[in-house]
Order: sequence, then C-alpha cells, then structure tokens
Amino acid sequence: MPADSQTAPATIEKGTSLGRDAWFRLRKNHLAMASLWFFVVVVLLCFFLPLVPGIPDPNVTHPDLQSMAAFSKATSMEGQEVSYLLGSDHLGRDIFSRMLYGGRISLAVGFLATFVSLTIGVIYGAVSGFIGGRLDSVMMRIVDILYALPFMIIVIILTTYFGNQLWLLFVCIGAVEWLTMSRIVRGQVRSLKGQEFIEAARSLGLTNWRIIFRHLIPNTVGPVIIYTTLTVPAVMRLEAILSFLGLGVQPPDASWGSLIKEGADRMASDPGLLVYPAIIFGMTLFSLNFLGDGLRDALDPKSSKD
Amino acid sequence: MPRSPRHPTRQGQLTTMTLPGLRGWVIAALVVAGLTSCRRESKVDVATREKILLLGNGGEPKALDPHIVSSVGDSNILRATFEGLVTYHPENDMLHEPGVAERWEANADFSEWRFFLRKNAKWSNGDPVTAHDFVYSFNRILHPKMAGPYASMLYFLKNGEAFNKGKIEDFSLVGVKAINDFELLCTLESPAPYFPDVVKHTTWLPVHKATIEKFGAMTDSYTEWQKPGNQVSNGAFMLTEWRINDQIKVRRNPHYWDAANVKPNGINFYPIDNNFTEEKAFRNGLIHYTYTTPENLIEGYRNQENTPLRIETYNGSYFFRCNVTRPPTDNADFRRALAYAVNREIIVKYVTRGGQQPAYGFTPPSEGGYDPPNVISYDPDKAREYLKKAGYASGAEVPEFSIIINTSEAHKSIAVAIQDMWKKTLGIEKVKIENQEWKVFQQTVLDLKYDASRAGWIGDYVDPNTFLSMWTTGDSNNNTGWSNSDYDRLMKESALISETAKRYEKMAEAEAILLVQVPVLPLYWYTRVYLLHPDVKNWHPLLLDNHPYKHIDLKPAEEEAK
Repeated sequence: MPADSQTAPATIEKGTSLGRDAWFRLRKNHLAMASLWFFVVVVLLCFFLPLVPGIPDPNVTHPDLQSMAAFSKATSMEGQEVSYLLGSDHLGRDIFSRMLYGGRISLAVGFLATFVSLTIGVIYGAVSGFIGGRLDSVMMRIVDILYALPFMIIVIILTTYFGNQLWLLFVCIGAVEWLTMSRIVRGQVRSLKGQEFIEAARSLGLTNWRIIFRHLIPNTVGPVIIYTTLTVPAVMRLEAILSFLGLGVQPPDASWGSLIKEGADRMASDPGLLVYPAIIFGMTLFSLNFLGDGLRDALDPKSSKD
Repeated sequence: MPRSPRHPTRQGQLTTMTLPGLRGWVIAALVVAGLTSCRRESKVDVATREKILLLGNGGEPKALDPHIVSSVGDSNILRATFEGLVTYHPENDMLHEPGVAERWEANADFSEWRFFLRKNAKWSNGDPVTAHDFVYSFNRILHPKMAGPYASMLYFLKNGEAFNKGKIEDFSLVGVKAINDFELLCTLESPAPYFPDVVKHTTWLPVHKATIEKFGAMTDSYTEWQKPGNQVSNGAFMLTEWRINDQIKVRRNPHYWDAANVKPNGINFYPIDNNFTEEKAFRNGLIHYTYTTPENLIEGYRNQENTPLRIETYNGSYFFRCNVTRPPTDNADFRRALAYAVNREIIVKYVTRGGQQPAYGFTPPSEGGYDPPNVISYDPDKAREYLKKAGYASGAEVPEFSIIINTSEAHKSIAVAIQDMWKKTLGIEKVKIENQEWKVFQQTVLDLKYDASRAGWIGDYVDPNTFLSMWTTGDSNNNTGWSNSDYDRLMKESALISETAKRYEKMAEAEAILLVQVPVLPLYWYTRVYLLHPDVKNWHPLLLDNHPYKHIDLKPAEEEAK
C-alpha cells in the first residue's frame, strides 16, 4: 500500500478545475482585470477610508466655507481648521468625504439588491425549470406579468406609502431585478435536466430539492455570475435614478445619485459638485460592465468564439 | 438576457473605430444647435408679441377655489380670474383700487362698511355680479361644513367666528347684508380702519352661485366647478386650461367690466417647484418671471449689466412650526433649546443669500410702525441650558424626530444647515429631514402629523394682525396645536382698540408670549428674490407682492430702445 500511493501521483497529470481555467482566461483579458482592480479599490476606499481618522464627517456644515476650490484649506468662523481635498459644496460640506459615504450607500444598494434578486431569481428559475409542466407555465406567466408592470410607478407608490426609507429601496429594486435572472436560470436548468447525471441522481432516489440544490444550481453558476456582475451596475443606476427624482436617500445623507442631482442643480456655479461624483459613478459602472463581459468570456469560452 | 451585450468588447476596437465618428456627430449636433438657437425666436418673444404673460408659480395649486386655497401661488392664479370688492394698486400697497365696488364708506368708528357695487360688473357668462353673490360667498367660506382652511380671514365680520365654529346656525346673524343688488353692508366684530385692505384678499372673492350648485352642494369642495370650461369667474381673465404639473392658462374675460383696460391677453402659470429648473427655463426664454431664484446664482445675476434680478422687501416670515401635541416638541423648554441654537445670521448670509433679515421675532419689521419684540437670539449656552431643563442630559438622549419640508432645494439647504446647528450646539443626532410634495405637505401639516415643519407666512395686508391672529386657539392656520389663553385674551383686546399705537402695544405683548412659548421658531424675514424679463412693463415692487395683472404690459425691450 505505501509503495502504491507513492508511485501513482507521479504518473497522473494534475487536472485544473473549471474555476482555475476561467481565472486564467480572465487574467488574459486586460480590460476586465483593470476593471476588477479598479472596482476592488473603489469598494475598499468607500468602506474603509472613512474609518481613518482625519476624514471629515460628510454631514458637517461650514456655511461660511461654501464652494471652496479643490486642495484648499481654511479656518471656519468657529475657529476650526478645515481642508478640502475636492472642495466643498454650498453648505461647506466636504465633497470628497460625501463621495466616500455616498459610495457606501450606492454600493450597498447595488450589492444587497443584487443579492435579493439573485436569491429569488435562482430558486424561482430552478424550481420552475426542473419541475416543468403546468407549474412552469404558471410561474413564467407570473414573471411575464411582473415584467409588464412599470417599475418606476411601483417604486413611487411604495415610497409615498411607506415613506422614504432605505430598506424599501433595497427591497423594491431587488424584487424587480430577479425576473431576468429567473428566466436565465430556468433556461439553463431545462437543458441540464435531460442530461445523464440528473438521470443518475434520480435513479439514486434523491429528492427534487436535493437535485435542484446539489446538482442543478451549481451547474448554472457561470451564467449566474455573469448576470450578477451586470445586475450590480443596473441596480446602482436605478438607485441613482430614484435619488435623482428625490425618492432615494434622504438628506443630509447622500448616495452617488443624489450627489449628482445636487451637482446638476448647481453646475452653473460649482461644476465640481457634478463632475467628481459623475466621474466616479460612471467609471464604477463601466468597470462592472467590463468585468461582466470578461467573466462571460472566461466562464463560457464557447460563446466568445462565435 | 436583454442587458448583456452579445459580442465581447475587444480592446482598441472601441477607440479606433467609434471615436472619429462620434466626434463628427458631436460637432454636427453643436453646429445645428448653435444655428437654430440664433435664428429661432424664443417662447418669451412669441408670448410678448401675443401679449401672454408667462409666470413661474412655485408648486402645483391645491385647488382653484378661493374658499379652499391658502398658499401664495394658488392665490396668484385666483387674483387673475376673480375680482373682489377692492383690488390691489399696481404701485402701492397702501392705496386701494376699486374692484367690483365703485366706492365705499365707513361709519365714524370703522365698524360698519358700506360697499356700492358697480352696475356693469359681470361674470364670465354674462350674469351681473351682485351684492347677493358676495353674501353667498361669505356664507360658503364661513360654513362649518366647508372647513375652509382660511375662513378665519372672515372673522372680521360680526358673528363670523361664531357661525364658522357652529355656535350659531343662522347666517343672517353674521354681519353681512345685501341692502339691494348693488349695496353691501358689512358689520364688523370690532373696528378695523384697514378693512378695505382686508377685503382685497383671496378669501373675500365672490363665487358664482349657479355654477357652484350645478356641480354640487354649496359646501362641497373640490367639485368639477373649478375645472376649465366649468368655472365662471368675474376677474379680468378666465380659466381656459389646467394641466396638472404642466401649466394653467387664463385668457381675457370678454365680460369683464374694465376689459378695455386689461393689457395682457392672457397669462400662463407654470408650477415649477425646483428653482434650478425654473431659472433654466427663464434663461432659455421660456418664462417671463421666476417665482424664486437659486441662491447660488444670485451673486452672478447681481453683477450682470441690466440684470433681470430683483430683490425687494417682502412682507413675510420664514419659520419652523413645532407640533406641540406630541413629544419631543411638546416640551416648551425643548423648543426654546432648538430656537436658541440656530444661528440665523449664518442662514441669511450663506444659505439664503438674498438679502433676507435674520428673524428674532415673528412679525416682520415692515408693518407700518409696529415694533416687534425681539425675544429670541442665538445663544448656544442658553440653548444647552434649556435642553437640560427639558430633561435631556445631552442631545444624544433626544428621541428621533423629523423636519418636514416641501420639495425644494432651498428649503432642503436650510433644513440641513439647521439640523447641523442642532447637532453642533446641542448634540442632537437623530433629526430626519423628509421632503413631501406641496399638496401632500399642506395636508400633513393640517393633520398635525409632523414634529417640525418648514413654513412661511406672507402678510395678507399691512398690519401685524395678519401675522399674529393665526396663533390664537383653533385658528385654521395655527396648525401647531398651540393654545394660550393669555395670548387669545390679548389678541381679542387688541382688536377692540381703534387707536393704532395702543393696539400695536397690546399685540407686541401678545407676540412676546408667542416668542417665549415658541410654538414656532422664527428664522428669517423674507425678501422677494426673482428674475423678471425686461419685456414686462408696469411691474412695480410691492410689499405684499400681489400684482394686479391687468395693468401689466408686455413690450419687446429692444424695440423700445430704438
């Protein structure tokens, strides 16, 4: 026995997992890698830089130090020395720090709402696709109906009814964004369920739930990851639209969307208020979209060769 | 998969292939835009030629019924479509212009007024306007079932208050009587030498009985009668179009008695509640006049040659209402803490920036000789002391409460600045700011479903009474739940005095109580800051800002220069 186990590995070539393969392919896509690093840096900055002492509170006003230029330093009338990295807004608040805190909210909405949509969409789609038959058509018609509802109007009604609350934003967006996800997963599951490994699982007497969760969902992971990276920017954009309409975060808190709105109003006198958040928001969305494209190529090499 | 692009993006391809094309398009678009903007005459030019006045008017009106509205923007529209007994003078608030009444006279102590109506005054359907129409209208607004939010304006009439509160049921006991078709007698509760000023107000406008009753009972509100096509009015203009959140059009009323002297052919009112949008509309030649001006552009406009910017004294007070019926704002010491912690100098200098005056009392200083008591000041130590007295060892213990504002960047900036002042001086962390659309906002305040709310009060006539009578118990504009028997008594006593100086003294005493109890936190006294197109003529600065539109003329400014 000991002799066998020593000789066997030397002769068999070590296999690479699907994940490793994908990672290698992704690494060759420079745009996607640059986007990945950019996105990671933005996330780290937004979530951890505010913890560093010296980053000003984003909601502290210094009305006497309004519309300051970037890289300026001044003493407020309260005798406090304030330095602005990217200047100040009309109430003397620090734009840089407002962007960091705004990024927290925008990114959190992006991630959480995507997570909500991911959970609902994957389970719904897998069940619908696997069980099939009449249940499948009923479940998919429900999706069709929900697709037809005008999203903006639902959100406006919900926010006027429940008041402007942040959790509502997560729920609303998440509850609407799962529809496409469920269709993708359903399609995948339908093509997978005729394959031999599912037959095998069936013949072993596994329950439907076990087949769905252990055998089908892991096999849909490629399209799901791709679609998720594309959902995050879509959700962030929705949040920005809502904030732009005044339905998102409530003052004095900010998200990138609400900062862009405030900036758009005052762009004639302080262009920086619009330019900085718009740049960072635009670049984040770009990076997520590029990353999503790159992941698609990496996880599904067949489609990229078409 | 509607959102994922079919083809992978390749580096280089995008930049080399699309950019030159894109650049070409952008240049072409700019050239086209430049050419068209030079050649085409703007909407304002067309309107000036057609003599249509285009006015920015704040928010969407709640109603176009004089007995329901209570906001300045709404009454601006009604001032165009209806005409009262006496109307506003185009240049001076203290002068009166005869409206439906040709002349009027008072008895020796100003408690009985006789209005003689002109015989040629007509409704827009041709019916004559009679004294009975006024009696009917006063009955309607004062009727308890109508619940007119502004009915208290008619408490000047004898028994008006008693009838409005349901204490008497017979309207004939109220001090208004049609002697005949063209003579109206008003008997007042107490002497009021300024009564002709009072009857200029929106609430005293007549309504057409047959029209009201065609679409519902007398006391029904929000019926179809106020819709274009249905509404019959007696002013220089009549309502022809009302598109929600878009525009309200009024056009010349051919039956108006003075139609020959009405200068504009019509007015379009635009409910634009974002002042930045409104300013852009003005800059792009879409409106003649803005309701407000964004504070960050005031400086730029001020430095322009022939600036359209106007900054004028305005008879109004900006303040926060506190709901005294629920915690934490039910505690007077807590309200005092809030009041003393606000640095009003900063607000007017850096936030509003339109030459406003910090308010340390409620009544603005422009009320003809009235000297408002200044009780409140900015005093952080006092504020902290009051916070302790209110039972909070520190601001962190204060439970969460919210400030509601109607949707507007200007109100938002002020609320954010004040929220931060409370945080800095008192350490109050949990203050929420909620914005609501104007119609919803008015209802929330009326229902007392708020903690603190932004408010502004514009005097209805030039007398401190218009600012102070609203704080008496149960007044329909009180909306704070505040009630103080001493205050009520002093206001009642002041109403009985006909000598002005003494009357003012009593009112100052009452105002001092208001400022000690602070159900309202005064912030600043308004100025009118607006943009006016040079084509608009005969637009004079007015303390009450109630411009009689029939005198306003439109002439292209360039033509005049030649």
